Amino acid sequence: MKKLKLISIVFLALGILSLSSCRQGPKGEATDLLNDTLISAKVRMDDKLIGEMISSIPNPVEMSALLQKSGVVYSQELLNPVENIKNYNTNFKRAINIGVYGTDLVYMNIYDRTIATLKYLSNVRELAADLRVEQFFDYKTLNRLSESSRNIDSVLFITNSGFDNMSRYLIEQQRGNLAVLISFGTWIESIYIATHLKTVPPHRETINMRIGEQKRVLDNIILLMNTFKQDPAFAELIDDLMILKKEFEKVTITYVYNEPTIQEINGMVVLVDNSRSEVNIDQDIVDQIAASVAIIRNKIIN
Amino acid sequence: MSEEILKALMQLFAIIAKQDVGLTENERKFVENFLKQQLNESAVKEYLALFDSFSKAGRPLEQITADPEIDNKPKLTSVKDSVKTLGIAKKINKTLTQKQKVVVLVRLFELVNSDKNFTPQRMAIVDTAAEVFNISKEELNAIASFVGENKSDKLDFPDVLFIQSEEIDNKHSHFIKSSQLNGRIIILRVKSVDLYFLRITRESELLLNGLPISNQRIYLFANGSVLKQPNGKPIFYTDIAAKFFSDSSVVNVSFTAENIGLTFPNRHVGLRNINIEEQSGKMIAIMGGSGVGKTILINVLSGIDDPTTGIVKINGINLHHEKEKIKGIIGYIPQDDLLVEDLTVYENLYYSTRLVYRDLTEVQINKKVDKVLTSLGLYQSRNMKVGNLLDKKISGGQRKRLNMGLELIREPAILFVDEPTSGLSSRDSENIMELLRELTVRGKLVFVVIHQPSSEIYKMFDNVIILDEGGHQIYYGNPLEAVIYFKKLDNQINSDIGECSQCGNVNPETIFSIIESRIVDEYGRTTNTRKVLPQEWSRYYKRNNKLSGEQKEFDPLPDAFKKPNWFNQLKIFFSRDLFSKMANTQYMVLNFLEAPVLAFLLAYVIRYIDNPASDIYIFRDNENIMPYLFMITIVALFVGLIVSAEDIYKDRKILKRESFLNLSRSSYLFSKLSILFIISAIQALLFILIGNSILGIKGMYFEYWLIFFSVSALANVLGLNISAAFNSAVTIYIIIPFLIIPQMVLTGAMFSFDKINRRIGGGQEKVPVIAEIMPTRWAFEALVVNQFVNNNYEKQFYEIRKLESQFNYKNVYYISELKGFVENYRAKIMTNDSIPISKNNIELLYNEITKENNLPFALNHNIIFDKTDHINPADFSMELAAEILIYLDDLQNYYRINFNNFNEAIDQKISSMVSTPKKQKEYQQLYNNYFNTYLSHFARNTMVPMPLVRLDNELIQKIDPIYLDPQDRRLLSFRTHFLSPYKNFLGKLIPTFYFNVMIIWLFTIIAYILLYFNGLKRLLNKLAQLSGKAEKVTGRLAIYTQKISEKTTY
Repeated sequence: MKKLKLISIVFLALGILSLSSCRQGPKGEATDLLNDTLISAKVRMDDKLIGEMISSIPNPVEMSALLQKSGVVYSQELLNPVENIKNYNTNFKRAINIGVYGTDLVYMNIYDRTIATLKYLSNVRELAADLRVEQFFDYKTLNRLSESSRNIDSVLFITNSGFDNMSRYLIEQQRGNLAVLISFGTWIESIYIATHLKTVPPHRETINMRIGEQKRVLDNIILLMNTFKQDPAFAELIDDLMILKKEFEKVTITYVYNEPTIQEINGMVVLVDNSRSEVNIDQDIVDQIAASVAIIRNKIIN
Repeated sequence: MSEEILKALMQLFAIIAKQDVGLTENERKFVENFLKQQLNESAVKEYLALFDSFSKAGRPLEQITADPEIDNKPKLTSVKDSVKTLGIAKKINKTLTQKQKVVVLVRLFELVNSDKNFTPQRMAIVDTAAEVFNISKEELNAIASFVGENKSDKLDFPDVLFIQSEEIDNKHSHFIKSSQLNGRIIILRVKSVDLYFLRITRESELLLNGLPISNQRIYLFANGSVLKQPNGKPIFYTDIAAKFFSDSSVVNVSFTAENIGLTFPNRHVGLRNINIEEQSGKMIAIMGGSGVGKTILINVLSGIDDPTTGIVKINGINLHHEKEKIKGIIGYIPQDDLLVEDLTVYENLYYSTRLVYRDLTEVQINKKVDKVLTSLGLYQSRNMKVGNLLDKKISGGQRKRLNMGLELIREPAILFVDEPTSGLSSRDSENIMELLRELTVRGKLVFVVIHQPSSEIYKMFDNVIILDEGGHQIYYGNPLEAVIYFKKLDNQINSDIGECSQCGNVNPETIFSIIESRIVDEYGRTTNTRKVLPQEWSRYYKRNNKLSGEQKEFDPLPDAFKKPNWFNQLKIFFSRDLFSKMANTQYMVLNFLEAPVLAFLLAYVIRYIDNPASDIYIFRDNENIMPYLFMITIVALFVGLIVSAEDIYKDRKILKRESFLNLSRSSYLFSKLSILFIISAIQALLFILIGNSILGIKGMYFEYWLIFFSVSALANVLGLNISAAFNSAVTIYIIIPFLIIPQMVLTGAMFSFDKINRRIGGGQEKVPVIAEIMPTRWAFEALVVNQFVNNNYEKQFYEIRKLESQFNYKNVYYISELKGFVENYRAKIMTNDSIPISKNNIELLYNEITKENNLPFALNHNIIFDKTDHINPADFSMELAAEILIYLDDLQNYYRINFNNFNEAIDQKISSMVSTPKKQKEYQQLYNNYFNTYLSHFARNTMVPMPLVRLDNELIQKIDPIYLDPQDRRLLSFRTHFLSPYKNFLGKLIPTFYFNVMIIWLFTIIAYILLYFNGLKRLLNKLAQLSGKAEKVTGRLAIYTQKISEKTTY
């Protein structure tokens, strides 16, 4: 597999070389180059599986809604600074950070920060364009909606569905690696915000619980990432995540089984699962996780 | 005559008279007569007494020496008298003009002749005087013979003319036959001063200018004089002058105008049936009230305007139809000064001379110019700037003289002068007219339009043409006769006396008061009705006059002046223009400050830092680069227009004059253009250097400069076009917005071509045609494409990104759109829709699939839909739809894989460029310094609502125009979508930058050709004609246009 990819790159490089050597002439036509290019269909993890696993990663709206309910104080400092976008030159960085900015956007929208939102929106849009998936963000509509705080729901919806569609599309286009990275970006930013928020005790616990639950999500993420580990950037990221995984190892999740019951809801008979997971996490572990997350997150946003 | 001169004359007379035999009665009588002509009764006595005392002084001594016994021996004039003579002559020299001196000399001869005492002593005195007066021996002899001899054979000189009844057979002298004449009239011409003297041999009833003459005296036959005999044809000054010229060395030029008429397009009649017949060596006045068509006449006669009827012939050559043959024969001095304001008096004359004389060396030219300046009395002020009417540096008279000098230096055979004396003092007027008169001496023919001439000036003319309202010719002939003619027709008393017998004055105003006199009503008020209408005057005139109309043998026309060749003309024009521009400090400073100041203002204002928290300017984040590129084109256009818009207009007067030199228009235009191009090139350099460095646009200075310069150069030529076509500076500046604003609007920067009115091609596949003719659109496109494609950053990625973009477009938008049509069809079939797919949609599918089939890769990879002929309304079916979908899937798959490959290749490349922190920093720097985000948005059209649009039954790509090659590759189609990286030219792809530069220069060449043929002006004249026909009001405008549309060109 690796060999195949290498060959394709060599051919491509040759193609590019021949192109740049005759730039004066009009030879830069797509079709010419194509005749010399080997078309490689990459062998990867099943797209469907990737799709399913990605959807298991919680989307930023869920996390942010929880934060809002917890009455936390909005803090601009937590967000990835807008101007960081200039550092995102590779698809790898762009994909992760489109996720990061996506989360930031949702977080901000919940707190009605509509003016600053515009900049994040434009960053998302720009990164999407760089990734050539700009078609999922109707910039004009979003812009218009962001003008009024009454439209927050719509903005959130469009952003969210934009992210979902984008992921689905990327997988479909056999650019699943990018979809994984985007999801990872939204996830890591959510965790980062959740772990670094200043909040009051009763809410802290709820949030901590949610953080603990991410243990399984992280496992999935690492699993997904491993499919692409031949990419050095992925490999490096996986190494960092393994450290985080160690911190999460300290979280215990016990599964409590209860008999399911049958209930009638809205005139329909439904089987209700009464089993639940119990997450065991204390503040120390949270702090350590927070530290680890911060390291990874700061690495990827810079 | 001043007292001093008169005294000196008395002394001279006395010295001569007292020689040998002493004063005789005759001599005394002569002196008395002479004094009587000059002075009143009492003064005559006084001076006669003075003469007597002078002539008696020292007489005793002389009487001794003049002893009859030794009378037969030649006696020498006493030394004392010689010295005295010398002193007096020198004194006279200081105050009198050469002409006056000649007159004095003739008087001296007359004195001697009064008693026929041609003794050596007397002659010695006269000789001494002549020598001091600088009168040549030949002329002296001629004068002596003329005064003393009556016999024709003794007077056989070329400067003598006889008028008598019977033929004489002299070799050299001239002769006019006058059968009625009793006796003989002898006329002497003193060539050096162009004076004619007249004497008669027998007492007769001849009248000189209405006054009787005696055979005892010699008369000055001045310009415009008439000699009348009681029962014969009058003899005019011009007849005599013509006789002398007819066979002199000067080439005789005959000028005839037959039945000249001019009707304006609005049917206003400017001239009616004008006839003129003239020969070399005459000066003709064209007179008339204001608005009678004097200037129109002179314009027709000089060939500036074409007559509607009639012909003007010069030595039998039609002036208007055979212009080539009479190159350089005609000169024209318009009423306004034709001077280059910023040059000095000397330089003005210098360049004119250079343009006229090819063969002369620099030294010879300098000499010639100095000579002319001296003769014009301008030598003292030769280094003064000419200035203009408002900012006068030299006086009005000096301007006029210099103006005259420009033509005089060339000496055209026929010269037309329009109101040379208007606004001048009588002194200056006379000076000017003297200059013109001198030309006729040299055999030139001079036509002068003149208004209210003084008596002196009026008499200088040989002939006068009088026009009346509506362009009627009501008189043509001798000026003094004119007065008599009109007086007679008006039944005035004394009607046969032309000039005042006491003072010799003629009042030409009498003529006009007669012509224009109005009927007085019963209350004694003058009405607006004329006593005699122009038509009636004209009828009188025609009844009395018929031109000879004789056909003569003509001399070949003199060689036109030797004008320099094309390149030398260019050099002369160039240096004249350059010096005149450089002399204008304000112009120079403003022009060279304009560009850098504008660049600084513009660039400094738009040097924008995106990050409010930072002070570091980053080129990449400056949103104003695209507007800056736009402004470059507009500034270039504006600056280029401003520099040139008045250039030809300012020269128009000079051009009008020089049009008679038949100089090369192209060398004139090239000289203009070279100077303007040099200015523009410098402006471009300054602007780009300053603007680009302030904005941090790195590299590509040459390309920026080239665009700025090209646009400016085009604007220069456009500016020259308007400056050549319009009549006033105000119009020119009104025109400039018309040239600039459409260009601003249709550049593609302010208003997207997609979003302009569809009727003029908005939102279509290609740039709207109306925008294609806007030079700024080409310039702006070249700048954007060049900046985007060729900057150091994008250069490394452009070609792959282009491929990536194309595959992306096909994959994401294009194929999906096509699929949509087919899927829609299937859905409608399911729901039993009556029309599952429209004809248009089928055609669209057919068009697009055919296009895809024709792409080279389709064949190579065998991704071809081979049932395209089934894609028609009749054959379209579910099966076909399914097949199409399969095909489209394959195609999309192909595009997707390729896109992914290219996308990854780019990513790899960037990843390798940022693999270490150091490299990352370098990359960032490169990116920040060369790439501009907002320009990229513009060039890639990322804000477009639809990535592709449907136009008729085809799909048009709207995003990433900068990555899209021209779609229309037919041989002759060069039009593309906006911001295409390449242009199709004869089936080849040319980089947009170079192609667009070529287009701009093509515009420039077209504009030049238009300028060369004065197309704009012709067009305007045509419009004026049309409007003239249409309406009376606009008709007036047409007259106006016609009147002032002077040919400002060669």
